[in-house]
Amino acid sequence: MISFFYLGIILFLAGAIASLIFNQRANGFAYILTSTGAVCFAIFGVLLLSSPPVSILSISTTPILEFVFRGDTISGFFILVISVVTFSVSIYSIGYTKGMANKGILGFLLSIFIISMYAVVLSGNIITFLISWETMSIVSYFLVVFDTQEKSAKAGFIYGLMTHVGVVFIIVLFLILYKYTGHMDFAGIKAAAGNLPDAVKTIIFIFAIIGFGTKAGIVPLHTWLPEAHPAAPSNISSLMSGVMIKVGIYGILRIVVDILGVGPEWWGTAIIIIGAVTSVLGIMYATVERDIKRLLAYCSVENIGIILLGIGTSMVLASNGLYKLSAIAMTAGLYHTLNHAVYKGLLFLSAGSLVHSTHTKNLEEMGGLIKLMPYTAFFFLIGSVSICALPFFNGFVSEWLTYQSLLSNFQAMSATAKVAAPLGGAALAFSGALAVACFVKAFGIPFLGLPRSHHATGAKESSLPMLVGMAILALLCLVLGIFPGHTIKLFSPAVSSLAGIEYVFPSGKGVIHLSKTAADLSPLAILVAMIAIFMAAVVLIRIIGGKSKTSYRDSWDCGISSLTPRMQYTATAHTNPFRRIFEKVYLPIRNVNSIYILKPLFLKSISYTNEIVPSFDKYLYNPITDFIYSISRKVKLLQSGSIHLYLGYILITLLLLLLFWF
Amino acid sequence: MKDWMDLLYVMDFVSIGILITAISINSLSQIEAWIKAYMINSWLLSLLIFFVAVKNPEHHLYVASTLTFASKGVLLPFFLKSIVKQMKKVQVVETYLSTSLSLIISGIIIAIVYVSLGKGIFVTGFSSFVLKISVAVILIGLFIMITRRSAIAQILGLLFMENGVFLAGFSLTFGMPSIVELGVVFDLLMIVIIMGVFMVQIKQKFSSDAADMDQLTNLKG
Repeated sequence: MISFFYLGIILFLAGAIASLIFNQRANGFAYILTSTGAVCFAIFGVLLLSSPPVSILSISTTPILEFVFRGDTISGFFILVISVVTFSVSIYSIGYTKGMANKGILGFLLSIFIISMYAVVLSGNIITFLISWETMSIVSYFLVVFDTQEKSAKAGFIYGLMTHVGVVFIIVLFLILYKYTGHMDFAGIKAAAGNLPDAVKTIIFIFAIIGFGTKAGIVPLHTWLPEAHPAAPSNISSLMSGVMIKVGIYGILRIVVDILGVGPEWWGTAIIIIGAVTSVLGIMYATVERDIKRLLAYCSVENIGIILLGIGTSMVLASNGLYKLSAIAMTAGLYHTLNHAVYKGLLFLSAGSLVHSTHTKNLEEMGGLIKLMPYTAFFFLIGSVSICALPFFNGFVSEWLTYQSLLSNFQAMSATAKVAAPLGGAALAFSGALAVACFVKAFGIPFLGLPRSHHATGAKESSLPMLVGMAILALLCLVLGIFPGHTIKLFSPAVSSLAGIEYVFPSGKGVIHLSKTAADLSPLAILVAMIAIFMAAVVLIRIIGGKSKTSYRDSWDCGISSLTPRMQYTATAHTNPFRRIFEKVYLPIRNVNSIYILKPLFLKSISYTNEIVPSFDKYLYNPITDFIYSISRKVKLLQSGSIHLYLGYILITLLLLLLFWF
Repeated sequence: MKDWMDLLYVMDFVSIGILITAISINSLSQIEAWIKAYMINSWLLSLLIFFVAVKNPEHHLYVASTLTFASKGVLLPFFLKSIVKQMKKVQVVETYLSTSLSLIISGIIIAIVYVSLGKGIFVTGFSSFVLKISVAVILIGLFIMITRRSAIAQILGLLFMENGVFLAGFSLTFGMPSIVELGVVFDLLMIVIIMGVFMVQIKQKFSSDAADMDQLTNLKG
């Protein structure tokens, strides 16, 4: 089993070195190595899921600096998630990086990035975890600023800043854990964590939510996501959004659920509330976004919220002693983690194909691409359908499970749980509805209609490796949606160890029985039923309507002589109702500027601008940065730039010390 | 020889010589005179170490004395002179303060050092007197660095400070192990070489006559 680990590591390192060596030539070879490495790690993850915790590697240099890698079922699950996305991204990158400048360095960083994520998930003690975590952050920073042509430097700065703020909390958290338990090792910490005072546990909980939540992208710590994801190359944003933010979720699970164990009920309630707010606000900003990659980034924020809804529910139920229901909720959270990795990876890859061939990220400049890029359109559609949680695709199953577990919270004793959970369910329903609106836009505007600009007319279908990379994930979307029983059986050991009970998920052949909530789900049956209904409908139409004839006419143009593509429904127009209805949330800045020839009837021109500045930036981050700037400006007076003055400070300090110290 | 040394307070005289050479810089304006003052300062330092070596017969002190003389008394002044020659026009050190004011401030610094180190200092070395002088020399070196504009004056200020630090360390410990002293000397040579290179670069970049450090103010972000 461990040989798969070593093989995978060797393959990734070989891939890293190969891409440096072959810099501009034969780059595909390096990516074939990394995708093979991903397969090795996938097998390793599956094996970890079905085995007791194993110690993989421990390198001891000095007593303090000891590198310990240990795998258990939880890390196995996350390794599987990482490997699945990595495999497709590697194949996709063969085509995507063709003709790119510095692609050798990109390949190198990509391999190191993936290794560091595996290392985080497999870390067995504090030092290993922190070093791997920081490696992951730094390498991903370099990947964000990789594209020097765009304004990625600012995005990189925001990302780096947020990451550093997050890691401060993580380091403090670990120091507290070390101080109170006396162990560096996670196993030791977990054994001793039961005796922690409640106040300390609460502090650790809050720090874990802030620290890991920054990486995962919970509102209001998500601000780096919509900046960093669009700035990075698309294969990287696919990895960052699909996988890296899940490593944040892993951190929360490891510290809060695994190490601290069952806590007071308000922990779970807090996570439910955070999840609800995150999912609603995330999807609301996604809906009004025009930049396709920013849209997907905000959508990742939403999905993190849904994952947290599952995890929070699980924690509430566990606090109430309902361990079986808690396991179901945890299953929902983990399943959604896997699903989101798959379909968000797919969406980012296909968005990357769009951007790659149209050279624009603005939805308003695309259009009609379904004719030019039919396969990409198809894969994007599958991703959209999955993320909208429509039946027999994977998003449906995990969101259904999340609903079920949220609604089953009524079995809990406490009033807060009874109130919070349905509200969480309502938030989930709301964000689900908005997600549909959002992805109708995200699919309809670029792919349907006529090309809106020259960017869209010159688009070409992506190369074969890119299509294969997307096809694998698209197929997985379907497989995970139709065979949830098998999938859940695969990762149920991870659920068992997180929920703290040996729990075999009650699922038959493709059917999920939730005996505790009296709800069953069989996606396969739904699929069969849907196909049957569809066939019946087609047959009925044929029988009733007879043979139809297609005739082609011009569109009605309201009397204007010629229609131009600019008159099509735009992305902004599509979402305008939401902008109006939720004006209080978006706080849009609208400017209508009319120039009249003769008031009030003869208009010369109207210009209209509409801008949405996220409220977090306006009301939370801007005051903080202003405050820091004002202090900095005051401190800056000391820094005159004159070396004599600096030396003068030293002399005066020394003299004062001599006078008053001795 | 030991009795003779004690009788005439030779060690105190030598250390006062070190102080005076440091103070004298304030009234000198020719950069070559500065280098001479530094040379004499280093010779006196080497002499002091030699006397201590005679008094407490420890062989490594003779080594330290010779090393100081060779590096600080011969090699560095020679190197500094060659730099000054390269800079051609630099003969006069520009200062922010007048000579008399500089001397007064130096006097105040010495007074502060004497007052504050006068009490409560437990000295393990041979003389608390030498410690006071060494601290005064360090501070005067720093003061010179502050008030002079040209880069070469900064180097000399640093070198005086270094002599002071060496003296302070010596007065407290009877000299460090030879290997440490060797390292310090090597360090010093490196510093002067690097700063020499920097100085020539500054002069070329800003095309000023005197490698004026004020030009560096523009580099602030």
